[in-house]
Amino acid sequence: MSTLTTEGTVGLGIRRISASKKPDTTTKQYPELAILVDISSCIGCKACEAACQQWHDLTPPIMTPEEVVQRRIAGYQSHPDLRHDLFMLMKFNEGESEGRFVWFITKYQCMHCAEPGCLIACPSPGAVIQYQNGIVDFDHSKCIGCKMCLVGCPFDVPRFDANNKPWKCNFCIDRVTAGLEPACVKTCPTQCLTFGFKEDMVEKGKKIVQSLKERGYKNATLYDPPGVGGTGYIYVLPHGDKVKEYNLPENPRVDASIGLWKGPLKVLGSIAIWGALLGAFLQLILWGPIKVLGGKEEDKEG
Amino acid sequence: MDIERFSATDRILHWVTAIAFLYCMLSGIGIAYPKFHWMLTLLGGGEFARWLHPWAGAVFSVGAILMILKWSRDMVMKGEDWLWLMRIKAYISGRHEDLPEVGKFNGGQKLYSWVVFLSAVIFFLSGLPMWFPENFSIGLVRWSVVVHEITFIVATFFTVIHIYMGTIGVPGSIWGMIGGKVSETWARFHHPRWFREVRGE
Repeated sequence: MSTLTTEGTVGLGIRRISASKKPDTTTKQYPELAILVDISSCIGCKACEAACQQWHDLTPPIMTPEEVVQRRIAGYQSHPDLRHDLFMLMKFNEGESEGRFVWFITKYQCMHCAEPGCLIACPSPGAVIQYQNGIVDFDHSKCIGCKMCLVGCPFDVPRFDANNKPWKCNFCIDRVTAGLEPACVKTCPTQCLTFGFKEDMVEKGKKIVQSLKERGYKNATLYDPPGVGGTGYIYVLPHGDKVKEYNLPENPRVDASIGLWKGPLKVLGSIAIWGALLGAFLQLILWGPIKVLGGKEEDKEG
Repeated sequence: MDIERFSATDRILHWVTAIAFLYCMLSGIGIAYPKFHWMLTLLGGGEFARWLHPWAGAVFSVGAILMILKWSRDMVMKGEDWLWLMRIKAYISGRHEDLPEVGKFNGGQKLYSWVVFLSAVIFFLSGLPMWFPENFSIGLVRWSVVVHEITFIVATFFTVIHIYMGTIGVPGSIWGMIGGKVSETWARFHHPRWFREVRGE
């Protein structure tokens, strides 16, 4: 049982929602939550993955040995990629660091960015919600299925069901709201996962990084990418110089193209189309319709 | 006496393309511009409009390409068409005598036909990655959205003018696309060289 609660709906104040005006958040605020993933103490047991599937009632199909060979996945990974019915996946990558074998392990799921690309790109009002506590969630009733959330996501996370509705980790918002820690954290046997306020998690992560450095992992780092305003999942990476080996983007940010069509191009489009309508109207009232012979009657024999 | 301006094939092609484009334009505005999200309700609801948009787009693209194939010979831009476009102010302000003589289509109509053709191709090529974003590289999908939006701005700007000119702006021209026939007076005034060609003069 977590000591942290969101006190019912208090923590579920909205910070912002897609394609809408920013709500007034001065009335009630709630600090951001985070999950610290300490890769240095992960043993790769995938219990978090099992707990995630159990809590969310997910039954993704199990890969056949042929599929495993075909997709060149190290046998230890359960699936090649996230699916609409698989919200989180432990990714395994065999590599090297300073001449020694390293098993790069990553917990791969929605990162709950402070600047969520999905929310910024989503054109449907209210379909993506960011709560005060930092949790980013989808409202399928408002989603139109355009997949722009995937286009905006710097981490390639949303996956779509047969109706083009996106699915992803929702930080076990139902559990968190009830004062429980997310399912993955609850089940982790090595305390590699810790759940709490973001501030505390950052502090704890920094301490672990410091002790790793003292133990000789001189490149150890805390992964909390500033390009997306920081994330709700933060990672202690023992080999911080090899972020890519962990299947994490080195400097994720919401792509410039999103800002371009969400901002200047919308303004330009509005000016062009209202301008064309206004122009047509001005032609009408200034000179009137372009009539045959300027409207003068003529003999109709032709 | 009336003269046939557009054959039945021309008219069917035009209206299939036009209705498909209108649906795409309105649903596109509803999808991309949150202030006009309400329009999706009138177009069958957000999910339905988003589903139909790419299919209507495919119809538009194919229709527009067939149309230009059929009309391309009439649409070649010549020196007189550029001159006509440069003097467009004379056209819209009713000073007809300052304009070069016009054939079946004037410079504005020709320009619009190429805008439609090019936009049909670009809409299709940029729409495909947006339709199936999982099957293309994410960078391509992201910039396709930008290209799609720019194409929308250009195509819609010209289409607003096209619709205005075809209905209120130039009285009598709508009958070329409804029923296919225009009056002799209209033809002689707006498209004198074409009028003479039709009459075999």
